Amino acid sequence: MKTFPTLFAVFIFSSVLACSAALATAKIHPVTGEALAEDQTFIYRELDEFPSFDPQLIESVSEAAVVRDLFEGLFNQTPEGTLTPAMALRWETNDTKNVYTFYLRQNAKWSNGDPVTAHDFVYAWQRLVDPKLASPYSSYMELMSVKNASDIIKGNKPPSTLGVKAIDDFTFQAELSDSLPYFPTMLTHASTMPVPTKVVEKLGDQWTKPGNMVGNGAYVLTQHVINERLVRVRNPFYWNNENTIIDKVITLIINDDNQAFQRYQANEVDKTDVPTGQYKRQKKQRPDETFSNPRLCSYYYAYNMSKAPYNDIRVRKALSYTIDRDIITKNILAAGQIPAYTFTPGSTANFQVPDVDSAKMDQKQRIAKAKELMAEAGYGPDNPLKPTILYNTSEGHKKIAIAISQMWKQSLGVLATLENQEWKTYVNNRQQGNFEIARASWCGDYNEASTFLDVLRSDSDQNHSHYANSTIDRLLSEAKTMSDPNPNYSRIEEIIAEEAAIAPIYHYTNVIMLKPYVKGWPHQNVENRWYSKNIYITAH
Amino acid sequence: MLNFIIRRLLIAIPTILIIILLSFLLMHSAPGGPFSAERSLPAEVLANIEHKYGMDKPVIEQMARYLWGILTEFDFGPSFKYKNQSVNDLIASGFPVTLTYGIWSFIFASLIGVTLGVIAALKHNTWLDYLATGGAIIGSVLPNFVMAPLLVLLFSVYLNWLPGGGWEGGKIQFVILPVIALATSYLAGIARITRSSMLEVLNSNFIRTAKAKGLPNHYIILHHALKPAMLPVLTSLGLSFVGMITGSVIIDQYFSTGGIGQHFVNAALNRDYSVIMGVTILVGSLTILFNLLVEVLYAWIDPRIRY
Amino acid sequence: MYIDNKKVQDLADRLSSSAEIQGRSLWQDARHRFLKNKAAMISLITLTIIVIFSITGSAISPWNFEEIDWDAMSDVPTLGVPSIQSGHYFGTDALGRDLYSRVIQGTQISLMVGLIGSFIAVIVGTLYGATAGYLGGRIDGVMMRTVDILMAIPFMFVLILLMVMFGRSIYMIFIGIGLLSWLDMSRIIRGQTLSLKNKEFIEAAVATGVKPLTIITRHIVPNVLGIVVVYATLLIPGMIMTESFISFLGLGVQEPQTSWGALINEGAKTIQHGTLWQLLFPLSFFIVTLLSFFFIGDGLRDALDPKDR
Repeated sequence: MKTFPTLFAVFIFSSVLACSAALATAKIHPVTGEALAEDQTFIYRELDEFPSFDPQLIESVSEAAVVRDLFEGLFNQTPEGTLTPAMALRWETNDTKNVYTFYLRQNAKWSNGDPVTAHDFVYAWQRLVDPKLASPYSSYMELMSVKNASDIIKGNKPPSTLGVKAIDDFTFQAELSDSLPYFPTMLTHASTMPVPTKVVEKLGDQWTKPGNMVGNGAYVLTQHVINERLVRVRNPFYWNNENTIIDKVITLIINDDNQAFQRYQANEVDKTDVPTGQYKRQKKQRPDETFSNPRLCSYYYAYNMSKAPYNDIRVRKALSYTIDRDIITKNILAAGQIPAYTFTPGSTANFQVPDVDSAKMDQKQRIAKAKELMAEAGYGPDNPLKPTILYNTSEGHKKIAIAISQMWKQSLGVLATLENQEWKTYVNNRQQGNFEIARASWCGDYNEASTFLDVLRSDSDQNHSHYANSTIDRLLSEAKTMSDPNPNYSRIEEIIAEEAAIAPIYHYTNVIMLKPYVKGWPHQNVENRWYSKNIYITAH
Repeated sequence: MLNFIIRRLLIAIPTILIIILLSFLLMHSAPGGPFSAERSLPAEVLANIEHKYGMDKPVIEQMARYLWGILTEFDFGPSFKYKNQSVNDLIASGFPVTLTYGIWSFIFASLIGVTLGVIAALKHNTWLDYLATGGAIIGSVLPNFVMAPLLVLLFSVYLNWLPGGGWEGGKIQFVILPVIALATSYLAGIARITRSSMLEVLNSNFIRTAKAKGLPNHYIILHHALKPAMLPVLTSLGLSFVGMITGSVIIDQYFSTGGIGQHFVNAALNRDYSVIMGVTILVGSLTILFNLLVEVLYAWIDPRIRY
Repeated sequence: MYIDNKKVQDLADRLSSSAEIQGRSLWQDARHRFLKNKAAMISLITLTIIVIFSITGSAISPWNFEEIDWDAMSDVPTLGVPSIQSGHYFGTDALGRDLYSRVIQGTQISLMVGLIGSFIAVIVGTLYGATAGYLGGRIDGVMMRTVDILMAIPFMFVLILLMVMFGRSIYMIFIGIGLLSWLDMSRIIRGQTLSLKNKEFIEAAVATGVKPLTIITRHIVPNVLGIVVVYATLLIPGMIMTESFISFLGLGVQEPQTSWGALINEGAKTIQHGTLWQLLFPLSFFIVTLLSFFFIGDGLRDALDPKDR
């Protein structure tokens, strides 16, 4: 009998404790005052397994999102896409804008407690161009015009000659071969993030495995199951850890869009992509969960100008004019994509989209004009053009190719053959020039029009169309050092439209489903640079 | 018997060598390479990468090095696509998963398949027979890529009973849907085999004798007919293995189980040479092993068979 | 993989042992038994209707299989529903193309894959097996070991590589699927040939100096025809299913052509987006046809099996 009151007392006491604990942790957001959910776990879906988490080895947007959580570079991006200090507190440059000095944060630590120093940046940047690491993104350092980058990649100079140095532990300096006014904007890219010198040297290519990996970002990698999931949890050594709200981020690999969507409906993931063509329907049913945000990507058809008749401006123009962009963006993709008549998306920073003829006409006028041009070029009902459209296996590409082939057939009598190839074969054939017309797309590496327009430079590695225009080449090289290069970019777009160098089709949007309780998502960021540390989950 | 096993294992060696050779040649004649991407890499960058993976050497030498690695260290090389993973890592992570749902689905398919087959045989040429056979066949001709989304829609979205995908180390609730989806695809095979062998056994003399003796029907079926009728079901072990591997491609894709099936297709599409080789060798050896196992089991159970 | 090889083997043994003695009456009996098999007969009729539909069905459709109905395309879930007025009897696909015409086109392709694929498999398998069995000895040993080796090669993987290498032409699908399915056939035929080889009529042919190739094609092959027909019928559903798997992987026939697999795959993607007809029409054709082939195959086998009388 004696034990009962004691037990009872213990029970009361412990429940009081539990209650007060619960009260203490019922968090509210420090700025907005919203009630936060108990469980701050963010789960999002990714299409494919990540090839790597090594900042200097990654290539894709999805890998970069993980690396942004695990590492932090000199700058981060705000939701609006402007720079915000991260590892660099401030920076300065000389008058010719070819030497940049960055003053680093002194309280930044790696997740093993070591300080993050300028030497780690020097090591990482040298690593990016080191032929021994053989990074597929090493040419980014060339784009950044860092001194000697090209020679190091070619193996003519050792990596130590790269134009970067640590003036002291917390001062990092980069020397460029050209003056580059937009250099700092390129530094939010994951390839430029620091890596822990000691750890990488000690563990070699095993250093990115969970348990081994050491980063300076807001999260550390704790679990990776290939083709299933990736888990990262809060890094207690992160300099701004106390302002981070999300405790745990889980990426689920789900290969199929519709399957992912089903799991979103079953509340297994908080964010997923909207399956092709389903945006309208979802927007109606779940208006506050369905989003379509502009992206720095363009979808276009490329002509192979080394083959007749695609070297004929009239043919290219007629084909391009006949594509009804409104049908493709409104009826096929139907997710807020923007019809494209020029290459660079209008959402690119400071870029002015020029008024090109095709954008001003309506579809009837375009078709009338196209018929004229086609007849001039010598094609008609007796002599139909028979192009082949090359595209890679994908629901969206297939639908667009089918629709375009039908538009051409019905308006111009053009009899197109569809050639659907799996990815690698498609890539190979495009790069080898084994195509007539190919579907293509391009996404900006950084928020500046040159990242698009460089593709059409006559000596660009990416110019598989064999398009060459000396005026464009000249305008592009001039633009590199101009303080405001945008008039040049607009002029280039006009030339592209006049010569129908490509057939622009649409500008991408990010079409996502996001649970209403996930807040802080940077919808307006055109490069889709999101950071887990900036989002939070409200009580639901 | 031992002689037979040894002879079979000896044949397996050239078989595996031929598999390696064939897939190596097929693979290298496919257009594109592991490092071709939408953005073509500058020539010097590509050269660096190819050098790193030894792809600048002649094909014969690459192949020799690869074989040497397998023979000396059981090392199937690094994946070309997943930069920090080796083929051994990928297989070690994926194969146990495939094996788990594969074995469960075989057990499940056998239980249901045998039951349906026995019912069909006992009610030979009645509506029950057609229903059982027809039902089993519909289940198996319904493509996995229809079955999987239907299951998820029903059990995850509408009923909310089971997770629609994932694996989480093989917790039971994550295993159920993949197992159902996979089992239905070869259940019909087992049911059909059971039905026909049961029919044969029921017509045989010893069953007629048992009937003549006046033994109750269920006793005859359970004690006399079922065991010999089960023999051919063993053959379906090999069959279900093939079904498991091809089925796992779709299972892994839909249920995100992280099994080996995904590598099977993706490695070919990514031109991840070392993974293609590793997976082909694995599946080839297992096929040989399963066939041998089936033959041995057969001989062991049925004393009339001699090798 | 849906074929019970042992059953087929048993049947083969019985056929070869009885063929000579009973001669013509065997086939008459078989026909009689087959006609009495209700499931098989219903299946045969169904299959005939499907074949006729796939040949003549397009005549009553106002749309062809590649034309886009731009109006329906703008809102497929409401404007693309199956209806007699719009002329889309089976509704439209996600792009506003007429599903009725596409199902017909898909039926043609899928049936062709099944028939030609199993034809190739049967021809190669029969000739290979008969040759090995007839020649015997060392050659037989080498030929059958080759089959053993080929059997251990992951079939699906080779098919994927073939499709990747040679592009997605329909001929490649025929050849790929056919060439990879002859192995079982060759084993059965070889066993058959071994037992036929010692029969008097073969020995007589050898004695009169008939060339081996002629003996194989004139004397052995006709005698294994029964088993070949049964096996071929049972192979077809597997072929059609393999094609659908290839289509699922996105390696199937080239647009605007289609197949059941491609149509079902597209339909399955939108099961919860209000366009269920895109799945149901092709899937019904697929299932009904496959079921029919199974029942016909079983019926043929039972009919030819003298033991079951």
